[in-house]
Amino acid sequence: MRIVGRRKFVKLVGGTVAAALSAPAVKSSRAQAAKKIVFGGSVPLSGRAAETGLNVHNGYQTAIKYLNEAAGGVEIAGEKYMLELRMFDDASDPARATTLIQRQIDEGVDFFLGSFGSNIVLPTVAITERANKPMVQSGGGSDQIFTQGYKYVFGMFPRASRQFISSVEFFKSIDPRPKTISVIMTNDAFSKTNAEGAINDCKAAGFQVLESYQLPEQITDVSSVLASVRGKTPDVLICTTHDQNSLLISRQMIATGTNVPLLYQTLGPQLATYRETLGKYANALCVQIYWDERAPYKDKFFGTAKNFADYYRKNNQRPLAYHTAGGATCIITYIHAMQAANSVKTPAVRDALAKIDVETIYGRVKFTADGDGDALLLGPAIGQVHKGVVELVYPPSEKTGTLIYPSPKWAEKS
Amino acid sequence: MSLVLQTIVDGLVLGGLYSLAAVGFSLIFGVMNVVNLSHGVIVLIGAYVSYILWHALGVDPLLAIPVAMAVLFAFGYVYQRGLIQLAVDRSSLLASMLVTFGVALMLRNLLVLVFSPDFKSITPSYAFNFFTLGPITLDFVRLSALGASLVLLTFLAAVLRFTGIGRVIRATAQQDMAARLCGVNARHVYGVTFGVSSAFAGASGAILGIVVPFSPPDEALWTINAFVVVTLGGVGSPSGALLGGLLLGLISTATAQYIGPAFPNAMMFLILVLMLLVRPAGLLGNAFSGSR
Repeated sequence: MRIVGRRKFVKLVGGTVAAALSAPAVKSSRAQAAKKIVFGGSVPLSGRAAETGLNVHNGYQTAIKYLNEAAGGVEIAGEKYMLELRMFDDASDPARATTLIQRQIDEGVDFFLGSFGSNIVLPTVAITERANKPMVQSGGGSDQIFTQGYKYVFGMFPRASRQFISSVEFFKSIDPRPKTISVIMTNDAFSKTNAEGAINDCKAAGFQVLESYQLPEQITDVSSVLASVRGKTPDVLICTTHDQNSLLISRQMIATGTNVPLLYQTLGPQLATYRETLGKYANALCVQIYWDERAPYKDKFFGTAKNFADYYRKNNQRPLAYHTAGGATCIITYIHAMQAANSVKTPAVRDALAKIDVETIYGRVKFTADGDGDALLLGPAIGQVHKGVVELVYPPSEKTGTLIYPSPKWAEKS
Repeated sequence: MSLVLQTIVDGLVLGGLYSLAAVGFSLIFGVMNVVNLSHGVIVLIGAYVSYILWHALGVDPLLAIPVAMAVLFAFGYVYQRGLIQLAVDRSSLLASMLVTFGVALMLRNLLVLVFSPDFKSITPSYAFNFFTLGPITLDFVRLSALGASLVLLTFLAAVLRFTGIGRVIRATAQQDMAARLCGVNARHVYGVTFGVSSAFAGASGAILGIVVPFSPPDEALWTINAFVVVTLGGVGSPSGALLGGLLLGLISTATAQYIGPAFPNAMMFLILVLMLLVRPAGLLGNAFSGSR
C-alpha cells in the first residue's frame, strides 16, 4: 500500500480546494458576461386587488422567464442583458406601495412596472415621475394618471373615459338598436371615471341614460338598486364594477328575477371562476375583452399570442387572463423601446416608449401623447359568454361568435 | 307603496345576516370586555369551512352550519385560552385588542395562502330561486339566511337564559370576582364564551357564503359591521345584536333607496357617532361588564 507523503497530501488537498473554489468563480464570471436590467415595482399579491394582481404578476414573471431562459436574454446595443424582476407585495395598499417604490428608487432601480388598481398606480406614478423613471403599466386606467402632464408613465389601456368608445359603437351596431341605458358604478377612481365616460359617450351617441347608481367601493347588497332597475328597466345595464362586485350584482339580479335585455359588465365574466359560479346564468352576459389568445397578432419574441398562452400554461397552474398578457406586454414593450433607443439609459428609453408603434402578443402597442394606450388600437373588444366560453362579438373583424340579443330571461336560460 | 314595502323587507333580510354575524362579537365584548378585531376573519373561516364541505363533498351550506360551528368552537376555545388570556394576564385589555388585530392579519394572509386571494362563492341548487308576494320580490337565499339567523339567535338566547352554562356565563360577565368565589372556573368560562362566539361567527360565515361572494380581504368589513351592530343594539345579548342588525339593515337599504346608493356607509357611521353620544350602551343597554 502506497503511503501519500505529507507534502503530496497538502498539494492534493490544496489543489482540490482551489479547484472547488475556482468553479463558482468561473460560473460567476460567465454570469457577469451578461449585464442585468432590473424591473422594479409593487403588485397586490394580497388584499382586495390580489386576484387580478396575481394575474398581472404572473404576466411579468412569464415574460422574464421566457426572455431569460428560452430566448437566452435580450440584446440591446450589441450587448447581452439578462432581466431581473424585483416586485414586492403592496397588499392592495397605496401607502405601502408608495413606500416600496420610493425604496427601490433609492436603491437605484431605473425601470418600473405597474401595480393593479388606479388607486395604487396613481400615487406611485407621482413618485416615479419625480425621479424621472419610466413606468409601463397595465393596471391603472383612471384619467387622473394621464392628465397631470406626466411624461414617464405609459399604460396598456386607454384612459378610463375613453374605454367606452368601442362599447358605444357596439351598442349602436346591435339590431334592434337599444334605446335606453342605466349605469351602476362603485365609488373608486376607475369605476367612477369609466362610468362617467360611458354616460357621456352614450348620451353623445343618442342613447337615453335612465339612471346612474353610485355604490360604495365594497358592497354586500344591491337590493334597493335592483328594485329601481325593475321599476325602470333599461335596454342595456352597464356595470363598471370590479370582478367581485360584478358577481354580487349578477347573483342578486338572478335571485330577484331582475331581467334586462343586455347586462354589460366591464369586469367579471372574463374570469373562469365568475362563469363557473353562475353556470348557465352566465350565458349571454357581455364583457370588455382586451385580449384573446386566438387573436392573429405577431410578436418578435413569443411569435404569436397562442405561443404565449401555451408557454404560460406550461409554467403556471393559474388560469390565463387578459391582465396576464397585459403584464407580459409591459416588459416586451420595454425591450422594444430599449432596442429602438439602442440604450438602457432612462431618458432615451422614455423617449423611445413615447414613440413606440409595434405589434406584440397583445396587439399593436402605441401610446397617446399623454401616455395612455391608443383608444382604437388598445381599446377593448366586446365578448359575450356562449355556453360558458367568452366569444368575441365585436368588432366584426375579430368576431368569433354572434351576439345574442335580447338575452333570454334568467328563468329561460339553459 | 310597494317600493317602501320592498325596501323594508330587503332591509330586514339584510339585517338578519348582520345580526348573526355580530352576536359573537357582542358576547365576547359583553362577557370579557375584549374587542375582538379578529371577529371578521372568524366569520370568513366559517364561510371557507362551508365552501370546502360544499365543494369537496357536496354538503349543502345550511347543513354545513353545525360542522362550521363545531370547528370554530374548538378554535375559539384554544385561541382564548392559549393567546388572549395570556395577553390579558400579562398586560392589559388593550394588549388583547392588539393581539386580536395581529391574529386577524395573520389569519387573513393564511387564508390567502391556502385558498388564494380569488373570491369564492357557494351556489347550491336553490341559490338563484325567488318568489313574489304581491308586489314584493323575495330572494330565497337571503330569506333562508334570515330564518337561520333567527333560529340560531333564539337558540343562543335560550342557552344563555335557561341552561347551567348560560347562567354561569352571565354570572361571570356580571361579577367576575363573585363568580370565582362561588367556585366558577372563570378561565374556562371565558374559553367557552369565546368558543360559543366563534361558533356563531362561523355559522354566520356559512350563511354568508351563499349570499355574497367572499375573499380574505373582506374580513375587515365584517368586523366593522359587527362593531356598528353592537353599538346600535347594546352589548352582550342576542336580542341586542338582533335589534342592532335589523336596524343596520333597514338603515342601509332605506338610505340606498331614498338618499342614494353611495350613502349607506356614511349614514351608518353618522348613526354610530350619534348613538355613542346619546346612548353609549346601545338601545338595549345591559348590565354586562363590557358596557359599564
